[in-house]
Amino acid sequence: MTERGTLQQAATTDEVIACFVAHELRDGERVAAGANLPVVRCGALLAHLTHGPNMRLFVSMSFTNLLHVPVPEAYPTAMDFRGTRWGEAFVRHDETLSAIPRLADSFVVGALQVDPYGNSNLIGRAGAGERRFAMRGPGALATPTMADHVSRYYIFLTRHTPEVLVERCDFVSCVGWGRPETPGLTREALRLPGGGPRYCITPLGILDFGGSQHHARLASVHPGVDPDEVVAATGFALEMPARVPTTPFPTDDELRTLRTRVDPGGSLRQPQSRPPTARPRPGASRTRVP
Amino acid sequence: MHSDSSPARRSVVAPDLAAAVEGIQDGMTVALGGFTTSCRPAALVRALVRRGVRNLTVLGGAAAGLDVDLLIGAGCVKRVIAPYVGAEGYCTIGPFFRHAAELGTVEVWECDEGIYYAGLQAAAAQLPFAPWRSGVGTSLPELNPDLRPFRDPVRGELLLAVPALRPDVALLHAARADAYGNVQHAGHSFGDRAAYRAATRTVVQVDRVVSNEQLRHMPEATSLAGVDVVVRVPYGAHPFASPGNYLEDPAEIGAYVVAARAATLDHDYGPFEGWLRDRVFEPVDQPAYLERIGLRQLLALDEEGA
Repeated sequence: MTERGTLQQAATTDEVIACFVAHELRDGERVAAGANLPVVRCGALLAHLTHGPNMRLFVSMSFTNLLHVPVPEAYPTAMDFRGTRWGEAFVRHDETLSAIPRLADSFVVGALQVDPYGNSNLIGRAGAGERRFAMRGPGALATPTMADHVSRYYIFLTRHTPEVLVERCDFVSCVGWGRPETPGLTREALRLPGGGPRYCITPLGILDFGGSQHHARLASVHPGVDPDEVVAATGFALEMPARVPTTPFPTDDELRTLRTRVDPGGSLRQPQSRPPTARPRPGASRTRVP
Repeated sequence: MHSDSSPARRSVVAPDLAAAVEGIQDGMTVALGGFTTSCRPAALVRALVRRGVRNLTVLGGAAAGLDVDLLIGAGCVKRVIAPYVGAEGYCTIGPFFRHAAELGTVEVWECDEGIYYAGLQAAAAQLPFAPWRSGVGTSLPELNPDLRPFRDPVRGELLLAVPALRPDVALLHAARADAYGNVQHAGHSFGDRAAYRAATRTVVQVDRVVSNEQLRHMPEATSLAGVDVVVRVPYGAHPFASPGNYLEDPAEIGAYVVAARAATLDHDYGPFEGWLRDRVFEPVDQPAYLERIGLRQLLALDEEGA
């Protein structure tokens, strides 16, 4: 496809989410741009190229600055050593987990389950009787340590269903805001140093935790998604604002940067990235969701 | 100056893989270095499987690879200490690990990467435990009763006491070493230094054994000063990557995953038994193993691809 043709295609949901991620990141921050989640990687690179020249990107266990790299390659694994070719500094893995502010300002966790208070589960689904697990998930990885110490984190879901967004997780691997019925174990009571989960990003929209006692609210729906669809796909009662905004579309400049310098291969334009049914209105509000 | 009367410095170079893993016995605690698909001691692990050890406690690394999965599949493991076992996009969760965790046939010491390193650090410092915060408020202390919540005596905060994790032996992969056990990684070395500091003994497979003079050019690059055994194993991390030298091998990783999934999902052990025979038991040394992979496939693991 010609560049002109590429740029005329409407933004996909994955591209909308990548731009949302980019808007969340500030210049000067330390940001992971690993391979595991292409949408998040693309969002971090987009922020770097559009408004974050002083970011330190964490790539392949090294810090780097990719401002002058025409198209940073995407590698099959997060630790692919080719990613260190632009590295300014190696990260000593065993040391850095004891000094998270020197590693990252924010973090993104995946989850098998998320509850209304942003507590999440990567450990597995509980089994019946003697069996601990019906399904063993990937495990905690570094997520509790990262999520407890960064100034804010994001829960990133590739599926939005009642089985994923649940009233209560079978196991908790990352503390979100804790739960009201166990006041001794809330984020505040535990005095966790980090700032907690800021948003839960799903294929349908964005949730925040600004409801009663940090309960999840619907902060925005992605273009073309009806709020009722989100309610039906959520296994707990979402708090709803009077009017649900739409997650902002990328600007033309953002889309150009995304498609020519961040993701020329089109990983965010694959068929599974559902194209939105609505086009942005000219001059549509770029206001951040509350 | 060297003279015939002065004592010679002792070489720690083992003649082959079997000699390198000679001291590893049933029931020992073994730590593996590297991270998921990179810098894994794959050849040493295959030698361990050939050795037929049983009931190992395996510290798989802060993110363990499919070599831990192989040890489980080959029946060598009693307990796994690792916050993750898999190969990222190639295989999100190790098939034998997942199967064993679900059936309870292998004990999983649940933790996260911070807790993993806290346990190693406690062992290195010769402490009974190290405090760690992350994990409080989660299910980890309930899934792993070794992680004991306590109120810290200074500020009264809820923390976890992580018991010291002391490996009897750490098996690591690195780029080069001299004959005296000075090891240099090409790259960041992941958590290998933490495993080395905690372990009673350390065995390192290297792509090259180089002269002591060569290391003296850049002593600040020596990541491990004085390991117990060095063994030269060309392409020793294969099918995983050796930073700076070769990439992981998607075809070989894929072949393992297909065989392991047949065993765990379809209860068809034939493909895995065939894989074990062909990739572990018959090729008793590294050249025999590499001949089965083939020159063309190995050379394609170059950084720029082939």
